[in-house]
Amino acid sequence: MKKNVLLTFSAIALSSMAFGGSFQLNLQGMRQSAMGGSGTAWPWDASTIFYNPGGLARLNSFQIYGGAYLLSPRVRFTEQTGSYFTDAENHISTPFAFYAGGKLNPESRFGFGLGIYTPFGSSIKWDDDWMGRYVTQSISLKSFFFQPTVSYEINDVISVGAGFIYAIGTVDIDKAIPVQDASGDGQAKLSGNAQGFGYNLGVQVKASEMLQFGLTYRSGVKMKVDDGSANFFVPASLAANFNNTSFKSELPLPGILSFGVGVKPTRDLTLQADLIFAGWRSYDSLSFDFANNDGSVQDTHDPRSYKNTFAFRLGAHYKICEEFAVMAGGAYDPTPTRDNLLSPDAVDANRINLTCGLTYQPIPKLTIMGALYYTTTGKREVSYDPANFTGAYQIKSLAPGLAVSYSF
Amino acid sequence: MKKYYIAIASLLVFAACKSNIKPDKPEKGEADFTRYVSLGNSLTAGFADGSLYRSGQENSYPAMLAGQFKAVGGGDFRQPLLLDDAGWPDLHLVLGYKPNCATKAIGLGPVPYDGEVNSANANNISSGGPYNNLGVPGIRCIDYALPGYGSLNPYSNRFYSTAEKAGAPMALALSSQATFFTCWLGNNDVLGYATAGGEGNPSGLMLGDISPVPAFKATYDALINGMTANGAKGALINIPDVSATPFFTTIPANGLVLTRQGQVDSLNAVYAPLGITFKLGPNYFIIADATAPLGRRQAKAGEYILLTASDSITCGGWGSRTPIPEAYTLTAGEVANVQNATEAFNEIIAENAEKHNLALVDMNAYLKTLTQGITWNGVEFTTAFVSGGAFSLDGIHLTQRGYALAANEIIRAINLKYKSTIGLVDVNKYNGIIFP
Repeated sequence: MKKNVLLTFSAIALSSMAFGGSFQLNLQGMRQSAMGGSGTAWPWDASTIFYNPGGLARLNSFQIYGGAYLLSPRVRFTEQTGSYFTDAENHISTPFAFYAGGKLNPESRFGFGLGIYTPFGSSIKWDDDWMGRYVTQSISLKSFFFQPTVSYEINDVISVGAGFIYAIGTVDIDKAIPVQDASGDGQAKLSGNAQGFGYNLGVQVKASEMLQFGLTYRSGVKMKVDDGSANFFVPASLAANFNNTSFKSELPLPGILSFGVGVKPTRDLTLQADLIFAGWRSYDSLSFDFANNDGSVQDTHDPRSYKNTFAFRLGAHYKICEEFAVMAGGAYDPTPTRDNLLSPDAVDANRINLTCGLTYQPIPKLTIMGALYYTTTGKREVSYDPANFTGAYQIKSLAPGLAVSYSF
Repeated sequence: MKKYYIAIASLLVFAACKSNIKPDKPEKGEADFTRYVSLGNSLTAGFADGSLYRSGQENSYPAMLAGQFKAVGGGDFRQPLLLDDAGWPDLHLVLGYKPNCATKAIGLGPVPYDGEVNSANANNISSGGPYNNLGVPGIRCIDYALPGYGSLNPYSNRFYSTAEKAGAPMALALSSQATFFTCWLGNNDVLGYATAGGEGNPSGLMLGDISPVPAFKATYDALINGMTANGAKGALINIPDVSATPFFTTIPANGLVLTRQGQVDSLNAVYAPLGITFKLGPNYFIIADATAPLGRRQAKAGEYILLTASDSITCGGWGSRTPIPEAYTLTAGEVANVQNATEAFNEIIAENAEKHNLALVDMNAYLKTLTQGITWNGVEFTTAFVSGGAFSLDGIHLTQRGYALAANEIIRAINLKYKSTIGLVDVNKYNGIIFP
């Protein structure tokens, strides 16, 4: 009888594991990220495969484009009142984008290409012994999108494009389990590969040389983990209650609708703005379905209840001379997360982004681009109610990026 | 060269943008925490796992509170610490392996700590005082008025001075010059009766009795009057009901689980003369009751079987052919005595809080919510024995995490009463149950 009492652990669920929060990365093109992330209206280069596939047929050459960023967001947690605060460990990730696309022949109405990019990702590692370790210790979500794309110039005004998206990803999660032995907490380690499918549609309207519009819809992508592995490290006396097992899960990446306008008031100055709707409401909850529910390993279901968001992005591009151009911009990205459902594995807040950049074109076919993408949030006091975990967070980040394109 | 650029870029990333937010600074509000003194019994002393031991004392809820008070002007907090972790005067319990009494299979269970009781712990350490934590395991509210009590109780005998032993515990409390105090007294005024199976007097002065309400009231009133005489502020903590304690709730009254028809048939044959029938599945235990025919009857819903009957039920045949002895059960009438007394004492505590404008900590209500589960920073605590994480291996006292939950409930009440903003304790910084 006593034995049964001691070994009943139904209460210890592996709750509140998550992939990440507003884990959208707006770093798919160097010029665009230097202009606050805007770029739906104006097809600057082959990166329009991401920003607006409809613009691809507007390029008058075939282009190879590659770029990457050094991203190392600084995230701090503080308790509400007292003295406790902790910084998430520094961790550099390198979101990248590669594109090959355009027209083989300037007279052709068809454009085609391939994009490989990382539109969603999140990585945060807290100290193993931090206050929220039973909610999360670390999480890493990576995604890679492969997007073959075709584009057709209907006439001088309208061009359209469509891309098919095949997405792969990885997820790694560590969290402490509240069963202690003399050496400390138990731990759960989850890892898995995910994949999903989607599409990217775009229309580009060239009303005049001075005025252009763009409208795109990038579909939601359900990232499915079919055979993840869950490993548990617990006190020896409880090992039989925590059998390693496989798990299934899925994370809905949101559909995104963008409307952009670009104007060119003078020969050298271009201004552009995007209004972006993100369908985060699809991220209602996060569940883990463990294959083996014997003992203490219970399936989990964590509410997230994300809200849809509208983001605003603005940018300016000024051509100094044939070789050099400078860019600057800003964006306001409201968070889809709710104040009472913000988990420390998906820290987010309303973000203000300030950006700038420079392009250098040593020869007409080659362009070297650099950008700085600065993000800051206010101090956000929130809780994750399912875990009764309360505190304040702030995010700051300065991401430098570098890209090269070559036109054939 | 490339490395050089990367280094510059990294420097930019690392140095340029760092969050510098800080938590809000705690404020003391209307209370003065300069000298904090805690009054109480075993719970206040840091007793856990069936004994008093050093790390339990170091992580007592008053020590946690004192740690939080430091940020709002609190001073040093001195406790009559034992020399080591073995436990004194008995070894404390740890979770270990032991053979099941029936099947002999090795399973988890509370076993004595692997160590020796250090007899030097009996040496008087009053010279190390004055102590801020005046918690004495076993002490009742009514004992506070008893001159000479200090030398009768081995725990107070350790740290009371000769003069303090001669006086009543109340005298020591009143001389402590507290600017702020907590008082969690009264548990033992009902618990002694309850843990002895309700065999004592429902209104008496012996250890197995429930303290007479008038005596409780007189002592409690005098104590709080005295403590607040110089304007000290404080928090009064009330008495949790036994129904929130795994010592009484772990073994359900209908915990006689029959799995074979043969068992059912033979018990039915035995108890046919008393008109008691059994069925497959859970049945109410047979308990001793002097007022019942043949001195036995079936337990009823709402009656309690004490945790200490566990092994005898498993291996001694208690609860079926042999009735569970009265000293291991709380029958409906006894439960009513305990609950009435708890209510009466809690009313006296509430009156005192009201009268002296002190914070009232309704620990009774809080521990009732614990029966439903309280989640703290991702850990769910319940009143379940061992797996619940809040109660220690004796089933009555809390684990360090359980004490931390209690400390936070006290801080909440203090903040509310005195408009202070004292920070909460990081509950999971402390140990829960340690598994082998």
